[in-house]
Amino acid sequence: MAMTVKPWQWGNVPGHEMATPVKGDVVAKLVKAAKRPLLIVGGASLKEKLGGKLLIDFAAELAKAGIPTVATAHVYKALKDRGVEPAAIMTVADVTNRLQDPNWSVDGKGPHDLVIYMGVSYQLQSQMLSTLKHFATHLRTLSLDRYFHPNATYSLPNLKEDEWEQVLNNVIALLKS
Amino acid sequence: MAEKGPLKMSAKELISGLVSAKDVEVLIGRIAMEEEWEPLGPTPFPQISTLRSWDHLLLSRYKPFYAPFCDYCCLCTYGKCDLSKGRLGACGLDMKAQTARIVLIACCIGASTHLAHARHMVDHLIEKYGEDYPINLGQDIAIEMPHARLITGIKPKTLGDLAYLLNYCEKEVTQCLSAAHTGQEGNYIDFESKALHVSMIDHLAMEIADVAQIVTFNFPKGDPNAPLTWIGLGVLDLSKPVVLCIGHNVSAGVEVIDYLEKAGLGGPGETVEVAGLCCTAHDIVRYRDQAKIIGPISDQLRIIRSGAADVIMTDEQCIRTNVVYEAQRVKTPVVAVSDKASYGLPDVSELPVEKIVEMLVSGSTPGVFLPDLEKAGAVVAITAIRMAPLRQKFKIIPDPPQIQAQASGCTFCGTCRRNCPIDLPIDQAVFNAKKGDFELLSMLHDLCLGCARCEQVCPRKIPALSLIEAAFQHKIKTEKYRIRVGRGPILDTEIREVGSPIVLGEIPGVVAYVGCANFPNGAREVGIMAREFARRGYIVTLSGCSAMVASYVRNEEGKTIYEEFPGTFDRGGVVNVGSCVANAHITGAAIKIANIFAKRPLRANYEEIADYILNRVGAVGVAWGAYSQKAASIATGCNRLGIPVIVGPQGSKYRRMYLGRAEDKESFTVYDARTGERVWIGPAPEHLIIALETMEECMVWTAKLCIRPNDTTKGRMIKLTHYVDLYKRIYGKLPPDLHYFVRTEADIPITFKEEIMRYLKEVGWKPWEKPSIDPTLLKRLIRAQV
Repeated sequence: MAMTVKPWQWGNVPGHEMATPVKGDVVAKLVKAAKRPLLIVGGASLKEKLGGKLLIDFAAELAKAGIPTVATAHVYKALKDRGVEPAAIMTVADVTNRLQDPNWSVDGKGPHDLVIYMGVSYQLQSQMLSTLKHFATHLRTLSLDRYFHPNATYSLPNLKEDEWEQVLNNVIALLKS
Repeated sequence: MAEKGPLKMSAKELISGLVSAKDVEVLIGRIAMEEEWEPLGPTPFPQISTLRSWDHLLLSRYKPFYAPFCDYCCLCTYGKCDLSKGRLGACGLDMKAQTARIVLIACCIGASTHLAHARHMVDHLIEKYGEDYPINLGQDIAIEMPHARLITGIKPKTLGDLAYLLNYCEKEVTQCLSAAHTGQEGNYIDFESKALHVSMIDHLAMEIADVAQIVTFNFPKGDPNAPLTWIGLGVLDLSKPVVLCIGHNVSAGVEVIDYLEKAGLGGPGETVEVAGLCCTAHDIVRYRDQAKIIGPISDQLRIIRSGAADVIMTDEQCIRTNVVYEAQRVKTPVVAVSDKASYGLPDVSELPVEKIVEMLVSGSTPGVFLPDLEKAGAVVAITAIRMAPLRQKFKIIPDPPQIQAQASGCTFCGTCRRNCPIDLPIDQAVFNAKKGDFELLSMLHDLCLGCARCEQVCPRKIPALSLIEAAFQHKIKTEKYRIRVGRGPILDTEIREVGSPIVLGEIPGVVAYVGCANFPNGAREVGIMAREFARRGYIVTLSGCSAMVASYVRNEEGKTIYEEFPGTFDRGGVVNVGSCVANAHITGAAIKIANIFAKRPLRANYEEIADYILNRVGAVGVAWGAYSQKAASIATGCNRLGIPVIVGPQGSKYRRMYLGRAEDKESFTVYDARTGERVWIGPAPEHLIIALETMEECMVWTAKLCIRPNDTTKGRMIKLTHYVDLYKRIYGKLPPDLHYFVRTEADIPITFKEEIMRYLKEVGWKPWEKPSIDPTLLKRLIRAQV
């Protein structure tokens, strides 16, 4: 499939303002530049495969690079097995709900400025990003999933598996450097 | 309610054909002479804002959480108005109010659908049986219609009383819908209050529809031992003519069966198979258990395209709106009986049966619109018999050898997947099939919702849904399961037995698996969850499509949950109440617990009963595949009554949840009715409606949302045992919010005591000063002011 910045789900066209597609080093720089990023890892990360690994493997590496992490669905155990102790176990609705509050943070260390979603199923993630787009204008959001999310502030475009893997590896490498 | 007509009245005296009375109240042409079965409560026939203060109380704890589907409002000619990021529309509405408005509209659609169903049903039954036909559910059910009693204060006695109650319901739905007009309501909380109101009406309408059909068609009246029947794509004897009923209103299906029996053709399955899809299937087997259930709505296109049906009869709701086109492809004539869904077909009401049959058999019309139900019953039965030899089960699902050829045009463009509601890898499956590998196609059968959106968008016109079915054909014959016929209401005698253990927490909860078939990972998850909670001793109730698919998971001995567990409303019971209008019996059971067990006044006393349920009855609804507006109103009606609901991940597309914040202690304080003190009770229940991601997460939350402030120490210990056990199994650690639920050491599950005590010490937990209170949100229930 060719790369495109149309929403992955054809019907998921929310309005004229859609996410800025980002790729390559830009993603890594965005994450690196964030002062208080938050990584939200969802249940699909236990199923999504890329580069012979699961998405949860990449999420764990990002978390190890120092991004506070929320484990949604039932991914906690898998993160723990990969050496990550998430800052919280919450439902994706619960964490998204709290993120509307400009004073809230998962660890009490100050409000977040960039929220990164990974591995939350496409439709559910799209709805959560919509909430933050409309009611948390103090935040920027980034989807690191393989398919374009128009409701995010920044999203990867629709990617081939190897392109996706490369982006994630770049981010991890830059954050660890 | 005793009420008769025609009437002749004066100011002080009233005389009718059957009664005479003095000093009566006249209500819209009817005379209300409700017997004093209980003193009238504070809110008879509540109007749009009567219970507003209760709604505001609920919503101050469970704040609406919005996830808009679209940045625009496009309901008026000012539009489209971009409401994103805090912008207001041309009418002044903001995004929260607009989203709440859409939720209100959805709930109005849902409620009006059940209500119109009830109206059709009751009017038809009054025509058939007379308005004096009694509401009698047997000696074990004295509280025949808890919603009617609670909401209106009326104790219905006849079909005529039900018609009267429907007048009230229709007025309320109209009021609520009108609030959604441009330039009316503008506040999101008040939109939500109206959504809660109309959804409460929905439960009353469902109760009316189901009770009307139970008493007249002699469905099981709360029988825990209702018979087992068959469900599945493989249940039909295809050597016989097959009638396929699709929809929710069984009145017409009953007429088909009656015709067959009167014509000497025997009951369903003897000479003609009578089968159903979606809720009408539940109800035809409640009428005659020899009829068969094909399955939920997601099986609709599959079974139509399989060619099994020799005639299709549609009534109302959840029907493929292109049913006539799809049926025509397999030469199956359609008889549409509902004026709400007539599909452009010719109205043949005035024609004789023979002529209509001739039109259908000759193919001169793909179908007919025939709202005369008795005539429709005859037409459908005769047409099936005459069509069967002509059609010879003509189908369009290809035989397996044809799959590869039909898949050969696939370019792996991904368009099918990008339009699949649940993002299934259809592209990969079809591409594999092109190369001769059908395994993934076959696997998709159990996950696919059967909507065929993939086919609509395929640039190469590949019939992906039919290919999925073709790849699965070799397994179809094994698709046969046992399901218990919907039993209808819960007996008063059962409530007396379980009221105390439920309220005290010793039965850890009542879990209701309800709703449609938009399942995130296939239907099997509902069956797995239902078995898990039945085995744990929860009372498991089911309805609608969820009740169907729960039978698809067999245990180690090959038994479905309906064979493994008793059908009693008791610890470890698995209770199929029936079709989606039978959902009213699940919420009705919660109401009855408050009334029968706790002796709380029932009559027109909504707030107090809802307050009781919220604080004491550990019931949770799980609509894992909810898709329709009806499911939205059912869930919202549960919420007003104090019952939390979990929806699956697709449920986030309802755009609104009601979420608490556990750390917000003030919002989780109540009055102690004994003293009037405000007391923190922990986040129990934490949310009123939430969309969850995975089955595993859903199981943990199901156990957690059963916790109530009123639990005794023994009850809390039992509930925490299940919560902690599931949490540890799924997350591998203790729940991090245990300190919100452990009030004293006696609450701690013995099995985990040391571990939990260590945790509690770490977080600085101290025993609660007031672990046992009489919790209420209602100031008027305080018995002594501090």
